[in-house]
Amino acid sequence: MRKLTKTSSKIDNSVTVDFKQAMPGAISRRTFLRNSGLMAGGAALATTITPVMMKKADAAVSNTGGKIEQVKTVCTHCSVGCGIIAEVQNGVWTGQEPAFDHPFNKGAHCAKGASIREHGHGERRLKYPTKLVDGKWKKISWDEAINEIGDKMLEIREKSGPDSVFWLGSAKHSNEQAYLFRKFAAMWGTNNVDHQARICHSTTVAGVANTWGYGAMTNSYNDIHNSKSILLIGSNPTEAHPVSLQHIFKAKEENNAPVIVIDPRYTRTAAHADHYLRIRPGTDVGIIWGMMWHIFENGWEDKQFIRQRVYGMDEVMAEVKKWNPKEVENVTGVPEDQVYAAAKAMADNRPGTFIWCMGGTQHTIGNNNTRAYCAFQLALGNMGVSGGGANIFRGHDNVQGATDLGVLSNTLPGYYGLAEGSWKHWARVWDLDFDWVKGRFDNGSYEQKGGKDVHVMNSTGIPVSRWIDGVLETPENVAQKDILKAMLFWGHAPNSQTRGVEQKKAMEKLELMVVIDPYPTASAVMPDRTDGIYLLPASTQMETYGSVTASNRSLQWRSKVIDPLFESLPDHVIMYKLAKKLGVADQMFKNIKVNGEEPLVEDVLREINSGMWTIGYTGQSPERLKKHQENWGTFDYTSLKAEGGPADGDYYGLPWPSWGTAEMNHPGTPNLYDTSKTVADGGLTFRARFGVERNGTNLLAEGSYSKGSEIKDGYPEFSHEVLKKLGWWNDLTPEEQKAADGKNWKTDLSGGIQRVAIKHGCAPFGNAKARTVVWTFPDPVPIHREPLYTSRRDLVEKYPTYDDRKSFWRLPTRYQSIQATDYSKDYPIILTSGRLVEYEGGGDESRSNKWLAELQQDMFVEIHPRDANNAGIKDGDDVWVEGAESAKVKVKAMVTRRVGSGVAFMPFHFAGHFQGKDLRSKYPEGADPYVLGEAANTAFTYGYDSVTQMQESKCSLCRITKA
Amino acid sequence: MARMKFYCDAERCIECNACVTACKNEHDIPWGVNRRRVVTIKDGEQGERSLSVACMHCSDAPCAAVCPVDCFYTTGDGIVLHDKDICIGCGYCFYACPFGAPQFPEEAAFSSRGKMDKCTFCAGGPEDDNSSEEYKKYGRNRLSEGKLPLCAEMCSTHALLAGDADVLSDIYRKRVINRGASAFEWGVNFDKAKL
Amino acid sequence: MRIHTLLVVFCLIASVFQVQAAPPPPPPSLYTSDPGIELWNEIRQRNGEVRGVTQVKSTDADILINVSGENWRQYRMQQLIPIAGAAILIVLLTILVFRLLRGNIKLSEGRSGLKILRFTTNQRLAHWSTATLFVILGLTGLTLLLGRKFLIPVFGAEGFSNIAVVAKFLHDYLGPLFVFALTWLFVLFVRDNMPSPKLDLQWLLSGGGLFGKHAHSDRYNAGEKAWFWLAAIGGLAVIVSGLVLDFPIFGQTRATMEFYHFVHSVSAVVLIVVSFGHIYMGTAALEATFEVMQTGYCDANWAKDHHDLWYEKVKDSAQPEEQVQSVAKAGMAQRGSTDTA
Repeated sequence: MRKLTKTSSKIDNSVTVDFKQAMPGAISRRTFLRNSGLMAGGAALATTITPVMMKKADAAVSNTGGKIEQVKTVCTHCSVGCGIIAEVQNGVWTGQEPAFDHPFNKGAHCAKGASIREHGHGERRLKYPTKLVDGKWKKISWDEAINEIGDKMLEIREKSGPDSVFWLGSAKHSNEQAYLFRKFAAMWGTNNVDHQARICHSTTVAGVANTWGYGAMTNSYNDIHNSKSILLIGSNPTEAHPVSLQHIFKAKEENNAPVIVIDPRYTRTAAHADHYLRIRPGTDVGIIWGMMWHIFENGWEDKQFIRQRVYGMDEVMAEVKKWNPKEVENVTGVPEDQVYAAAKAMADNRPGTFIWCMGGTQHTIGNNNTRAYCAFQLALGNMGVSGGGANIFRGHDNVQGATDLGVLSNTLPGYYGLAEGSWKHWARVWDLDFDWVKGRFDNGSYEQKGGKDVHVMNSTGIPVSRWIDGVLETPENVAQKDILKAMLFWGHAPNSQTRGVEQKKAMEKLELMVVIDPYPTASAVMPDRTDGIYLLPASTQMETYGSVTASNRSLQWRSKVIDPLFESLPDHVIMYKLAKKLGVADQMFKNIKVNGEEPLVEDVLREINSGMWTIGYTGQSPERLKKHQENWGTFDYTSLKAEGGPADGDYYGLPWPSWGTAEMNHPGTPNLYDTSKTVADGGLTFRARFGVERNGTNLLAEGSYSKGSEIKDGYPEFSHEVLKKLGWWNDLTPEEQKAADGKNWKTDLSGGIQRVAIKHGCAPFGNAKARTVVWTFPDPVPIHREPLYTSRRDLVEKYPTYDDRKSFWRLPTRYQSIQATDYSKDYPIILTSGRLVEYEGGGDESRSNKWLAELQQDMFVEIHPRDANNAGIKDGDDVWVEGAESAKVKVKAMVTRRVGSGVAFMPFHFAGHFQGKDLRSKYPEGADPYVLGEAANTAFTYGYDSVTQMQESKCSLCRITKA
Repeated sequence: MARMKFYCDAERCIECNACVTACKNEHDIPWGVNRRRVVTIKDGEQGERSLSVACMHCSDAPCAAVCPVDCFYTTGDGIVLHDKDICIGCGYCFYACPFGAPQFPEEAAFSSRGKMDKCTFCAGGPEDDNSSEEYKKYGRNRLSEGKLPLCAEMCSTHALLAGDADVLSDIYRKRVINRGASAFEWGVNFDKAKL
Repeated sequence: MRIHTLLVVFCLIASVFQVQAAPPPPPPSLYTSDPGIELWNEIRQRNGEVRGVTQVKSTDADILINVSGENWRQYRMQQLIPIAGAAILIVLLTILVFRLLRGNIKLSEGRSGLKILRFTTNQRLAHWSTATLFVILGLTGLTLLLGRKFLIPVFGAEGFSNIAVVAKFLHDYLGPLFVFALTWLFVLFVRDNMPSPKLDLQWLLSGGGLFGKHAHSDRYNAGEKAWFWLAAIGGLAVIVSGLVLDFPIFGQTRATMEFYHFVHSVSAVVLIVVSFGHIYMGTAALEATFEVMQTGYCDANWAKDHHDLWYEKVKDSAQPEEQVQSVAKAGMAQRGSTDTA
């Protein structure tokens, strides 16, 4: 472990004279300077001739400027969740100290975390409510803004119905804000609510949850210390999750764990890997099946694990058989010896962990990819063990929380779904009349399922990836009353979605655009509009407090560092104001105390605790989370368990599921599906979610059960009937029995069913097999399909995409009709995208941080020397990257071997230029980021996942020409 | 007495630039001046390695040797600092420095560079410890508070180490031992992968 | 029989060695050596800089280790400074010794009272501007070069810093002016400074008249021509290098700056050191010399002594002193110039 110990308590900082140069008799410099009167004059003279050295920043205060208060919070950038200690003097954020105690990062940061203090005096923030009037930005008051926006929304509601307003929420909300946001959309009466997860890990959540029950990271960053091998596919943590490398290196160096990187680019992560497999973008299934071909050929699979805990592996084996080395090389481009070596490395070194990110998820077959990854780990028996797992690195700081709290168009908080039972559950939690809630919705039905009409309340809404089609499609083709008329961009930039040219058109067609964000974002400048845009300044998470969920499912408490800057307000305050205007505040905040206009964050968390039984967001009370925050240092670096101290026995952040009520004191579940621990101590089984039996085969676990389980075999999920059958009903208290009768582990608001199940060593959600065949998905066994825009026309026949769909998530969705055209002649280069370490997401926030912006000043495209030479392009030239749908972006060429020949890469964080035009003058005065550039996604094309509508932004086609 | 040094472990550096922005943060350094930077060799190719570079506080500091006004001095811990009130901004230290540590706030005609600025090992300058004068000119003085340079404290992978040379050697030696045999077996020779 | 035994023994021994010597070759290693090792070899190269990639945008930021800097430091500290200091001292001493030995060189026939126009006002202005600038630039340059060694002990660190700030300011702002002054000077003097090989060689061989009798000379003697061309070429070197150094706004790398610093320092020191000779020659060495560049007029006898061939050409234009003064005065009245007689 690192030992940057201070070797002496007082470092002697005295000056010694450099005797080499001084003549005898010369006195020490320091004494001379102190005593001579020359200093003042000399310094003055010097400064009049040469410019003053340091510009005095607004927050540049010396250490003598007042008492220093240390505030603990969590970084707002990525999902690692690094602890931050902010030093505040007189309400000004003057310093940042490393949080050495924090179990996730031990004080370490990446460029973004290390510069986060800049948020405390950021000059490029959106400072006050602003309205676009006749093409000019006009300052207005909060009241004016809320009134006008509310009026317009109500007008649209009247004319077109509530579904014509799209509630685009944020992965940067705190948990409480995310929950309120989803509730707000329900109060408004629409399922058109979504956030960044859609375009990030939606295919992960769908694929993984449908494999073994929950769709989240199964282990943790810290647990990687125990890994004996590490595989990363479509993941570049050196840039996207830098501090995770701390944990990866620990395994690499101390366990000699081989690191395998599978990526079209030789990323910075690949530079530290032992194996690097360069695949053609979009061929994830091929390479994984190719590796599993070797695993099955050599009998390396964990047969006992498969027998006991996996359903459907034989169907996978049948598919894998087709992926012999020759086919793998043909489709993915990776030769046999590399595939073999990688497979052997994982097989020889167990437990191994499997990491993936956008490279695997952002495809039309994203759900196939994620399920293939799961199948791989199941085959090797790497699930449910420390050091193994599917370690899915989420993106934004609270995308996990926002996903869990249901800021999604296909579910309610806690993944309950949109069926009537789910709405009834939440109506109970919200203490509202179900019929009142239903009455908020448009009373229409525009879809059918199983021959019956589906009420719009129970039908999945439009996802963020398709909102533009929700505006531009003909109304008859959209499965709701009318097209979208208003967009609320609440903490979500537009340049992270594909098809920028159409997006601009959609923005221009809307009747109302509201951007609620600390920064204007590209939404403010992309459309050529003269009015109808409102910009409301939101505070960052540094200016408020609440909980946030890291990728490993731990909840962390953030304390407020500074008061909201300028006229910004925290999201939940803005929500309250708007809710009041729209007339739903009383219902929305029925059991939540509101101080002035600020809903009490702790009350919101308590309401979350009272309703989120499915994923165990019930044990993480404000008190327990605050206790964890105060005792960071008591949690073990590898196991995350507190040994002694006030949080003794807890796992840091009470990683969900933390079953039952807070009084039950469940410590959280650090590694999912780990049967070596009791459920009471954080162990778990695979969830029984898919039925008890299929085609005569038992879907429950066989012979595998948790330590201390009284049922020594598989069992279904717990309900009041199961408890009664087992004779455990009377273990419930009378109050619990009253609440639990007629309910199951998800809907029993007392938590009694969960408590009793765990008391008997059982997991409340059952003990089943994971399944590698999802019979409800378009491709039950994951298969490879060529991307919509592919350069391998020869493979299209064998691996075609899906048929077009008339209505999918309320919209027509095309597949075959796009792939049918050969674009590869005109657009010969495969285009992919990804991240840079200096920037985050849409980028307006980080490009407005001068310390970060200086490090990435130009938008660029990575192009291989061969392709550059063929096009007459030199390093640093301005080039046009034209996407296959004819949108073009003008960027700088970076000629590098990082990408393979025939592949080009662009980072997606830039915005503010559009098809060669600089839009800086369109930003509100003083709120333009330091660095602007083309948005990569302007050039990216149509293509959506067959289950979740995830956008295909990892493999499209383009041509690159000198500008 | 401690001898303060930096060491950047190239096997761990992932070019995350935390050291760069931590330094900017702590000392409020303006645009255009970068006391620390990360340089990557063989970018995008096998063998790509990155190193974080700033003033290395040399024992025989070339900057101090060539300075026409002798504005450098070395503290008892071996930290090389300079006095901005004496500096004339001639740029010679920048020519001589093997690491390119000296930075200038301006790049103007008539050789007008402004006062040289460089990494101070978070040890401030000749002004009084933790005074506002010291902060304005040199940034924070962490050493006087018993802390270590923020760049190393915030390095995402603990690649960058700063502190007493003996302690650093100890840490690095342990790492080398851990990496052990793998130092001689690095990467996979794919031609020979079929065993 | 014996041979047979020997053969058997030999075979036995050979077979033993066979068994020991040849175990089966180890299977080829799957792993390769660390490419990072080769990397460090590259970086430590002393004959080339390794350029990488960095997000920090400033000149040379992408160079990991600046190799040329150490060479330059050695040059400046171990060679330039000691040699420059020594050279200056030696030359000054030499002049002093010469003065002591030879004394002031008088006119062979004393003053004639007749004046000949030798330098036009234009030429004088060009000369004095250049000279003034040269002296300031030389002194300020030497201050920056040698001040640390000799002036800090006298003025202290802070005091010398103030001096150095002023010195740098003057040097950097007046330097570009020197370009114009020297060019102006060059244009005005070049025609008569063209070499006349036979005559100049003759003059040189006879020691320029410094020891013993005067040698023949036209308008300008070989010594003056040598100084002119040294000033022109050395001046060109110091100007070009000076401009590169004075305007580091074109992305000059350190290696470039170090090279031009080398050129600048060598040419400057040479010029300074030789200028001592020129200044001595033009002021105290000879009688009636300084007034020539001061007023533009030389005494006829002075011309006869030192530039006899030129004298023959222009002797008819000699005027009495008083006339020159009144003409000069009249000229002053006419032009309003600041000519001083």
